[in-house]
Amino acid sequence: MTALSSGIADNSITVKKVLGALVTQVRVINALVLRETKTRYGNYKIGFLWALIEPLVGVSVFVAIFANLRNDNPGGMPLVTFMLVGFICYGLFRDPWNSMQGAISNSRNLLTFPQVTTFDVIMSRGILQVLVSFFVLGFLLYMAYLAGFEVRCERPLGVLMACGLFCVLGLGMGFLFASLEPMVPSVKQFGSQVLGRPLYFSSGLFYTADTLPPPIREYLLYNPVLHMIELVRGEFFHEFETMHGSWFYASMWAFTTLVVGLLAHQAMHKRAIVTK
Amino acid sequence: MISLRNVNKKYRTQAGYRVVLDNVSLDFPVGKSVGILGLNGAGKSTLIRIIGDAEPPDSGFVHCDQRVSWPLGYSGGFQGNLTARENARFVARIYGESVRYVEEFTREFSELGEYFDEPLKSYSAGMQGRFAFSVSLACNFEYYLVDEALETGDARYREKFRMAFEERRANASVILVSHNEQTIRRNCDMAAILHEGTLVLYEDLKEALLEYNILQNQPR
Repeated sequence: MTALSSGIADNSITVKKVLGALVTQVRVINALVLRETKTRYGNYKIGFLWALIEPLVGVSVFVAIFANLRNDNPGGMPLVTFMLVGFICYGLFRDPWNSMQGAISNSRNLLTFPQVTTFDVIMSRGILQVLVSFFVLGFLLYMAYLAGFEVRCERPLGVLMACGLFCVLGLGMGFLFASLEPMVPSVKQFGSQVLGRPLYFSSGLFYTADTLPPPIREYLLYNPVLHMIELVRGEFFHEFETMHGSWFYASMWAFTTLVVGLLAHQAMHKRAIVTK
Repeated sequence: MISLRNVNKKYRTQAGYRVVLDNVSLDFPVGKSVGILGLNGAGKSTLIRIIGDAEPPDSGFVHCDQRVSWPLGYSGGFQGNLTARENARFVARIYGESVRYVEEFTREFSELGEYFDEPLKSYSAGMQGRFAFSVSLACNFEYYLVDEALETGDARYREKFRMAFEERRANASVILVSHNEQTIRRNCDMAAILHEGTLVLYEDLKEALLEYNILQNQPR
């Protein structure tokens, strides 16, 4: 038996250590994002197109329905742009959540590497998805503009801020679900069916809050995503001022969810690695 | 040096908790290759995953001040639907190595030929092992953690790997998990036995193998 040397643990936190850890983290997340891009979009030639097609299908269906249903534009806003903004912004919230929730179970292999943490695999998926969603937003709006639809952004900075809220909420949900999923795989179904479906229809993707009957509106306004959609439209369209969207309410939800998600990750990540 | 301090690890099973590591403290001597022997299910792979920081211990800590590889096995750590080239790049990026160099070295050393640009999942176990070791050699680790897979590929390739490994023996050592005596005898300077949660290091390899033989033949 060899004798144990003493005093090996140097647990002090120094600036150098923190910087070193940060550099590693940036390096790892960068590598993960590149890898993730490859696995998700690299294997199929139309892989990236799919990110564009999905919202387009949603938008076209509802545009077709509403164009036939009534003649006036919703709240004076041009119909196609109205739908595009609603659907793509909803994607800014839903898509990071969706792609992050399976991160730990699908990246078990990668966690073999000591510097790859559960935080990294979840976060890199979130980052990639947010980037893709923003690209889709810009690209489709530009396409709509080229196709001759009216696309005029009233306050770009405000739009960006509202988009940020969607992302923060989506990242929060992503962390929460990704942390629970290894232990309780059914949270995925719960998320997409029990939460996702109602949210899709109650978030004002294809209507505005003030067209709702007041008693229903009162309840739907508990939904923070409806607030965010109202806000982003208020910032985007000069024809539209939201009477119902509240920055305070929406941000409270977004940031609280993010904190809860990160806390859930902190509480669960050790168990999540072990659970097979 | 790699040191374990009061490391505990247990798993929850249907029949209650199973203790794999019970307050294990050990220093792995600098520059020595250590084999870890243990019966099936003794927790050898768990131990090496904990040493490699792939899995957190329940309590206690692992300290090391050298560049340690990830636990090398047949496939662990790689993405099956990416090609060998892409996996090599990923490893280079997370270890901060030159992407070009790691890619080239791996391609040359693994002798995978045109398979280098095929998805890893289409490989045989031997080819995956060859790839894993080539990447790890490209990264210049000071400690290689090997889980059972050193005997990979055909005899000629095994010899090539051993040669390459011998060369860097001066500044690299192995911690090798195996229940195969031959493997341990060929690659290690000393050995430790993991049995019922305790890890005992024997500086004399022969003594360790003798103990292990007794353990193996013990009626259970």
